[in-house]
Amino acid sequence: MALLSFERKYRVRGGTLIGGDLFDFWVGPFYVGFFGVTTAFFASLGTALIVYGAALGPTWNIWQISIAPPDLSYGLALAPLKEGGLWQIITVCAIGAFCSWALREVEICRKLGIGYHVPFAFSFAILAYVTLVVVRPLLLGAWGHGFPYGIFSHLDWVSNVGYQYLHFHYNPAHMIAVSFFFTTCLALALHGGLILSAANPGAAREGDGRRAEVKTPEYEDTFFRDIIGYSIGTLGIHRLGLILALNAGFWSAVCIVISGPFWNQGWPQWWNWWLELPIWN
Amino acid sequence: MTQYQNILTVIQIHGPVDDGIDLPRGDSERVGSPRVSRLLGWIGNAQIGPIYLGFLGTLSLVFGFIAFEIIGLNMLASVDWNPIQFVRQLFWLSLEPPSAQYGLKVLPPLGEGGWWLIAGFFLTLSVLLWWVRVYRRARQLELGTHVAWAFASAIFLFLSLGFIRPLLMGNFSEAVPFGIFPHLDWTAAFSIRYGNLYYNPFHCLSIVFLYGSVLLFAMHGATILAVGKYGGERELEQITDRGTASERAALFWRWTMGFNATMESVHRWAWWFAILTPLTGGIGILLTGTVVDNWYLWGIEHGIVPPAPHVFPGVVDPAAQ
Amino acid sequence: MQLWVPFAASAGSLLLVASFFTAGWDAPPVESTQIGYRGSGMYLEKSVERQAALKAANVAPPAPWEADPSGDRAGTIYENLQVLGNLSDDQLNQFMASITEWVAPEQGCEYCHNLENLASDENYRKVVARRMIQMNQAINVDWDAHVGQTGVTCYTCHRGKNIPENHWMMEPPPANLFSQAGMNGVNDAAGKSSLPKAALTDYLLGDEPIRVHSLSALAAGTNSAGVKETERTFSLMVHMSESLGVNCVTCHNSRAFNSWDQSPPQRVTAWHGIKMVRTLNNDYLTGLTPIFPENRKGPDGDVFKVNCGTCHNGVQKPLYGVSMLQDYLDALDKKGPADAPDYSTYVPGETKVMGAATSDASPPPPAPGPGPGPGPDQAN
Repeated sequence: MALLSFERKYRVRGGTLIGGDLFDFWVGPFYVGFFGVTTAFFASLGTALIVYGAALGPTWNIWQISIAPPDLSYGLALAPLKEGGLWQIITVCAIGAFCSWALREVEICRKLGIGYHVPFAFSFAILAYVTLVVVRPLLLGAWGHGFPYGIFSHLDWVSNVGYQYLHFHYNPAHMIAVSFFFTTCLALALHGGLILSAANPGAAREGDGRRAEVKTPEYEDTFFRDIIGYSIGTLGIHRLGLILALNAGFWSAVCIVISGPFWNQGWPQWWNWWLELPIWN
Repeated sequence: MTQYQNILTVIQIHGPVDDGIDLPRGDSERVGSPRVSRLLGWIGNAQIGPIYLGFLGTLSLVFGFIAFEIIGLNMLASVDWNPIQFVRQLFWLSLEPPSAQYGLKVLPPLGEGGWWLIAGFFLTLSVLLWWVRVYRRARQLELGTHVAWAFASAIFLFLSLGFIRPLLMGNFSEAVPFGIFPHLDWTAAFSIRYGNLYYNPFHCLSIVFLYGSVLLFAMHGATILAVGKYGGERELEQITDRGTASERAALFWRWTMGFNATMESVHRWAWWFAILTPLTGGIGILLTGTVVDNWYLWGIEHGIVPPAPHVFPGVVDPAAQ
Repeated sequence: MQLWVPFAASAGSLLLVASFFTAGWDAPPVESTQIGYRGSGMYLEKSVERQAALKAANVAPPAPWEADPSGDRAGTIYENLQVLGNLSDDQLNQFMASITEWVAPEQGCEYCHNLENLASDENYRKVVARRMIQMNQAINVDWDAHVGQTGVTCYTCHRGKNIPENHWMMEPPPANLFSQAGMNGVNDAAGKSSLPKAALTDYLLGDEPIRVHSLSALAAGTNSAGVKETERTFSLMVHMSESLGVNCVTCHNSRAFNSWDQSPPQRVTAWHGIKMVRTLNNDYLTGLTPIFPENRKGPDGDVFKVNCGTCHNGVQKPLYGVSMLQDYLDALDKKGPADAPDYSTYVPGETKVMGAATSDASPPPPAPGPGPGPGPDQAN
């Protein structure tokens, strides 16, 4: 199959966690590995169950399809398939698929001799998902607290869960998470822009229509020092970007896991501790 | 056995400070003697400064400071100049835009939105001047202007919220107040008034790009750190002369998800996702209240609202009886 | 190390500790109630501990004894009995004993009466109490759309206190030339958010429209409500939620707040509640302004007023739905004379009889026609 021009020398055996040479091959550009097989299994089963769930529902409109979790009355038990049990099995498949994907990434890292940063980062996203559909429902005593699988129905869930706490914007962990989201977006725009501006400098300043020369990291540093007095540097920006992005996911998970199990009043009330500090009361 | 993960710079080496690339004639001198911060040196460069403070930059800072002071003094006034209550209630305080009766009038009475307009005006000037600064610094260093155009997208959202949409609506009362909790109240009220912004398709797009940006930076940041031992962070050199860092990075993603970017193109993915977040968001804002007055009903008409089983039979509007 | 670092670090850690330990976090186990369809997100979570404390704080006291309805009517026995004339002697005494426990358990009868002349109206509190009894009767007879058969007694609001704990008065704006447009600050009535403080005045005293949604998808220019009006409505809604210990989804499906056929039935009850509170504030409490002394009025000279929390006290059904009314049906579940006298003529300490009826001992006519009912049905 079509390999990239430099790819052949990297396609070596080894790096697997489980299974040795048994699944150590590629299908097209995709690496398989033992966890590729488990991913394919969980993903296909989960997808098939989603399609089945849609068939049980009233519509095939992609925006309206929804697979709902069970009623709270089923607690932490397995509900009948058509009463939310399907949702539960799909969730198991999702977690299986996500974890398999992450472990497959680990195998690829080992094969390529690179660090495990990508699967490590991905595990934060998996943890956020697990927090939403496993940890928080466990703490609240019922699987029904998970979110429905549907494009707009999951947004209805977000809206209603938010309003359970009257004004979710006042959740301090939510504020931290949102700040990290926006800052990550800002930092990405700056980083993408900076690299592109150095690699694609446009017209030369002399104005004779020549293209300017591609620049160096010294120019990148100078640009940011000129505009804001500090340049974090080529390595630092990637550390910063990763840290910002992971914090966005982390604090999001925190903000939802505390809502319900550890705080069940309106979120504006939480700020009372500040208003009642002895220094001004 | 433990392995270095390239997150913190354990051994910091400090050489002579970098005064920066020489600027063309006509630019001012840079300001401030560079300092070294070992704290920052754990993550990135340790050098702080020098900074370029030209005419545009200085003016921008002055205007920004004026806006900041107007907002702060109004907040202080609203607690009867009591500094203790100012600190205590700081997050709750605000400077509000004028009410709808004043339309687009410049200037309503100061205490009824006039100060908000003045503060907004100075803040806008400050931001626009800063944009010119960012553009100019890039050109003076003979760089592309991609950062400036990214900034322009953010400014588009800022102006949409505070100026363009109020213009289209015919009054400033719908603009965002200055204040920490109050601007969050505005956000919630905006969604309530216009029938649930989750059904606004541009809101959906903006969130997709926002989450996508966070996903991308996690992916890209992690990838570069993972190939740090091969010099992956030297992206410009890798772009012009592909080395094993770029190759391994690309192959990681190709083998994982079947396709990959290059050392340059990943930054284009990044740039576009980050820019499209405020761009689509701003469009969604501009369409709300001007074209669409209730996004849920719009969603019903366009077939995107999921059917909900009728769980509450017999509930009718008591006012209609 | 820089000088600012230890200061910043200690301030930061102190605040972190304060927020962590003094914020009053809840903990599992949590009692969850499902309100809407599964997966809709319409749930109500309550911490078991907090619920137990609330339950203990909201217990209806039993009646002191079971009143005997037979015998002469109290109006023929006692002077200046304007509203309760139709009770029997025993019923009147039982009611008076109860009211003392409900409103003035420490001060006793002399809180309202001159002990040497029980009939005299010279104590302003007796005049107020008479009006409040009329109000109580009106609530039970005219507003069963909100209070149902459970009804209310004086205890529902007063809870053994002279002044109900949850009341409100108007707040004068800061007198300076700066921002008065929004007056954002800490709003205790709206759950400590910064939502507008004018909401209670606008909606529970005034009859400003609460609805803000457009009924058409595209803008037709017919909806004059904007974001500012929505913030006021939102402020009222947060107030209602906090007062009842519930959340927004108890009454609404937030994907379409205004849609009645997606709303739980509690929303209808709440709609009547808002109308009822407006009536109470306008027709009963505000009229008493000339009577109350300065220490019973707000800084703007207005009387203390009723909001949702006055009766509900943080519980969805006041006193957990226990009906005290059953022991006071004749006193509080029927309407006596319902008119109010001209309170501006009242002189504390001197006025012996303050009433629309005459002061002689003849009993007032029984069960008159409907008194001031709820306001005209209007979309609000």
